[in-house]
Amino acid sequence: MPALDPNDYDISELGPEIQSVEDLDELEDILEAEKAGKDRVGAKKLIESRIEKFREDEDDGEDLDPTELSPADLANELQAIDSVERLEEIIEAEEAGEDRDSVKRLVNKRIDSIQGSDETDGEIERVPPEEKYPELNHPTEDKQYVEDLEDGVYEDMWVYCETDDGELLDVSREMLGKARSLMDGYNEAYGGDERVVGVLIGDGVSDLADEVIACGADVVVSQEHERLRRFRHKPYTELFAAMARAGGELDEDPEAGDSSWREYDEPRYTLFPATNNGRDLSALVQGELDSGLASDCSGLYIEDTVISNPAKTHGEGQKREFQAVLHMKRPDFSGFEYSTILCLDNPAREFHPQGASVIPGSFEVPEPDDEREGEVYEYDFDLEEDWFRVQITDYDDLDSGVDLTGRDVIVALGRGIGDDPTLGMELGVDLADAFEDADLGITRGIVTSSYDFDGHVEQYASEERQIGETGQIVEPDLYVAAGISGAIQHKVGMDDSDTIVTVNTDTDADIREFSDYFIEGDLFDVLPALTEAVESGELDVEELAATGGASDD
Amino acid sequence: MTETDDYEHYEAVVVGAGPGGAAAAAVLAQQGVETLVLERGVDAGSKNVSGGLLFAEESAPYTLDDLFPDFREEATERPVTESYMHNVAGDQVHTIDLEDVHEAGVEYCDSVLRRKMDSWLADQVHELARETGGGLLTEVRANGLLRENGEIVGVTCDELDPIRADVVIAADGVNSELARDAGMMNWDEPDDYFQGVKAVVDMPEGAIEERFDVDDGEGASHLFAGDLFDGVRGGGFLYTNDDTLSIGTVFHLDSIADERAEPQQLLDGLLTHPLLAQWLGDDYEELEYSAKLVPDSKKVAHPSPHQGRLLLVGDAAGQMQAQGPIIKGMNHAVSAGALAAEAFVDSRTRGTSSAGDLYEQKLRSEGVMDDLRPARYRASRAVTESDAVSGFTDALVDSFVGRAGVSLLGGTVESLFNSQFLLGMIPDTKTSYVTIPQVLGEELGEPIEGGPSQVEPPDLADRIGDLTYNTDVGNPHIEVLDESYDASGTAVTACPVSAEDFGGGCYRSETVERDGTEERVVSLDTQPCVECGTCAVVADTDWEHPRGGKGVEYEQG
Repeated sequence: MPALDPNDYDISELGPEIQSVEDLDELEDILEAEKAGKDRVGAKKLIESRIEKFREDEDDGEDLDPTELSPADLANELQAIDSVERLEEIIEAEEAGEDRDSVKRLVNKRIDSIQGSDETDGEIERVPPEEKYPELNHPTEDKQYVEDLEDGVYEDMWVYCETDDGELLDVSREMLGKARSLMDGYNEAYGGDERVVGVLIGDGVSDLADEVIACGADVVVSQEHERLRRFRHKPYTELFAAMARAGGELDEDPEAGDSSWREYDEPRYTLFPATNNGRDLSALVQGELDSGLASDCSGLYIEDTVISNPAKTHGEGQKREFQAVLHMKRPDFSGFEYSTILCLDNPAREFHPQGASVIPGSFEVPEPDDEREGEVYEYDFDLEEDWFRVQITDYDDLDSGVDLTGRDVIVALGRGIGDDPTLGMELGVDLADAFEDADLGITRGIVTSSYDFDGHVEQYASEERQIGETGQIVEPDLYVAAGISGAIQHKVGMDDSDTIVTVNTDTDADIREFSDYFIEGDLFDVLPALTEAVESGELDVEELAATGGASDD
Repeated sequence: MTETDDYEHYEAVVVGAGPGGAAAAAVLAQQGVETLVLERGVDAGSKNVSGGLLFAEESAPYTLDDLFPDFREEATERPVTESYMHNVAGDQVHTIDLEDVHEAGVEYCDSVLRRKMDSWLADQVHELARETGGGLLTEVRANGLLRENGEIVGVTCDELDPIRADVVIAADGVNSELARDAGMMNWDEPDDYFQGVKAVVDMPEGAIEERFDVDDGEGASHLFAGDLFDGVRGGGFLYTNDDTLSIGTVFHLDSIADERAEPQQLLDGLLTHPLLAQWLGDDYEELEYSAKLVPDSKKVAHPSPHQGRLLLVGDAAGQMQAQGPIIKGMNHAVSAGALAAEAFVDSRTRGTSSAGDLYEQKLRSEGVMDDLRPARYRASRAVTESDAVSGFTDALVDSFVGRAGVSLLGGTVESLFNSQFLLGMIPDTKTSYVTIPQVLGEELGEPIEGGPSQVEPPDLADRIGDLTYNTDVGNPHIEVLDESYDASGTAVTACPVSAEDFGGGCYRSETVERDGTEERVVSLDTQPCVECGTCAVVADTDWEHPRGGKGVEYEQG
């Protein structure tokens, strides 16, 4: 059995999983396992294309016959061949065959790029863009720091911890957990002692410092002000960048805070959430710090890499090793493919921090460790009036929908309310209100019905309260299912509830099979009785029996 | 320079990877035509249902095993080596051996399950098409035609940018969106269609050989008619697969609609009939419930199935031959698909006539069109299918003389059903589906042996629950335009995954109070939809297929 059994995964999950497998034999094993198992065409194609990729990498053009290939295909194949001797053989083969000029040009070009052509002779001359293109109006001229940092010192992984309404977003926790494991691995691999730095900006956010540390940070840097209560591009960008440079060569205001804890110019890595605000901030901050950004990533790892691209090496035909590169994987074409983005220094320009925005939910939320210790540094940069040119005059909380998960009790209604939908809904709401922590759920049958609910209960009939396969999946302590037949699509949304109590007139209803208690009766009679019982703390069994029969399944 | 110049271009785009699309793509690719095949299912066959017999006729210009080596070994179930028709009346049955008609002009006839067959074909097609610079893409739904200055120049899709093509072969099934876009098909009349529902039933190892008295590698076909379907016009079938049975019913959709019949109940009527107990045994395990509309080629086979660069193939062109006990569709789709491809290649080399005109000529010269729209039927239909005539013949058969006649016919009934020529003339009335078989059963039948059936088919909720869906949440593919019961209520019964008094189906009948008056309406939940298209015909809807990869996924088909 291979390390990874493809049959355990949906095709959409399998894609990301096999991206981490690089061993040809192992991939072949996985392919065999798929053939022996579910034998899905899509899954096989996915694995085969992965195998093909590595085969190509291994292939050094031994069997390449130029006369059998179109120039375009040949150009691709040539990229894998690094031997000048072999390339000269290919030219000879072409001359013996069709002797196409286009093909010979291609091969000669490849030879040049490997040997390094005469003209460039290794070193590429650098001309600042302003001199190279004097006719252009250069916005980069205004940008103070472009290429100003030479041989800069870069350390630590910085994580922007986005907050909402005084609480950390889950994605902030997810990034802290991931940053922790990345930097632990980094320190082990490179013998360093680099840290995870959590960044908090806002109003009253320093209260969250302990939680940021518990989730994995070694250091928390923050700046608070009531004017920072809501996210705004300009001040947030300026403050993040100022903190990132504090204590380094480009620090503009060393008095703004204590930066004795660090001895570097800018962070080595930065992570931002790929939320609406995080996407804005990540692009602006990375631009301000004169680096690049890989947006909407779902995978991160740190590894050395060897690059032969002349833009990144000191000349054609050379190879250069980059150490501890943050590899940032992002889904393309709706997740059909993945790209791995690298942000690498040029010979004459440093691209640090290596930054990514991270899709929420990509990583696990870490178990907070309240014992963890960390340092907290508050900064107090001047808030320039100019940063607040955009005024927030009014705002509205968008309806974020109804979250039924995490409730102690769910009262769920099905099409059994059809005789009087409005009354049925009222009775369900009444019962839910009688519990301390309860809410109302409905089946898809109600969502898609043509029932006309009266205005005051209409809000309960919307899709956001639907429980089941295409709605929410809940597992409360108590699930009261009234007038629900128990189709499989509903069952998968509530089957893990601790105790399921069912009210139904039909004793043959499927739901009886997976109910703990089944009350045979009309929900219009039984629900009020239950509500009264919950409110009074006493169950009048006789009254219940009078409205229907209870049975313990 | 127009915007469309930027779109990707292929020499041929084939929409739909069923047998018609596969045959077309194979012929195109073999001729070196750059071919892209688009399939909306997660896998070819995951959207496809058929009763289950694939005929290969000796006269056919193309068969699947010509086009795809090893096809029968890899993709089909069992060859049919025995074929019977059972005429049922109460507890009596009269059985006719259909061997002659079944085997007339037939090279072979195999039972098939579409998921297995179509996905195997798709793998071969992908390999062939890849050689040409194309290939087969799944989970892509072509939703209409790309036009430029009023001319068809390609297809539009839900998932991809529009694609230009020199020829568009629409093999996208009975509910073809391309044929509809071209104005060549609509869901107007229920009597243009049949509706089939089917159960695939698990068989223990060795049970098929034992219960059907066939050898390994042999199979049986049984057809059923008579009074087991409450007077709804149609019949039943049972075919043996490798280790399952395909059991189903096929009815005229207008009859289902008029009688307010529940298709799943009609199927249950067949499944639980004592006659089937001998084959089904005591432990009934249903693997999959499925449904499909079948175009009646006698009425809707398009006489000229092309428009500009668009060529229609298979069900999309109404090419489904159903006459009496003979139902042939896939073989015609294969012929048509291959001929369409051939026509495109010919038109390119000759440059004189259009691919469409050549395709139409080929359908006629190769005899496909004559199978689909027999002249004999056209000539006699006007007389034999009018209600008056039907009522008269029904009465005649029921009369003493008529019955005596049928009884006297005796063995000659067998030759009547075994005559292809006569079958071509049989009118689609109650007489041929119900009355004659019933009278045959009553007058000539033997009592059915064995005890009552132990079969308990699953209820509709369980059948829906057992199907696999990838619901496109928040994006229903069908919209009810008129929710009144008068306009759309027929869907509640006719839809194979809906029923009166069943809240878990697609169409539910509801009584609502509006402004103080009670109104009967239907509501729709597209989650259980099996995409058969029935409601598009019998109700007032705006009907589309779900997006690529969404909706129902058949494991058997």
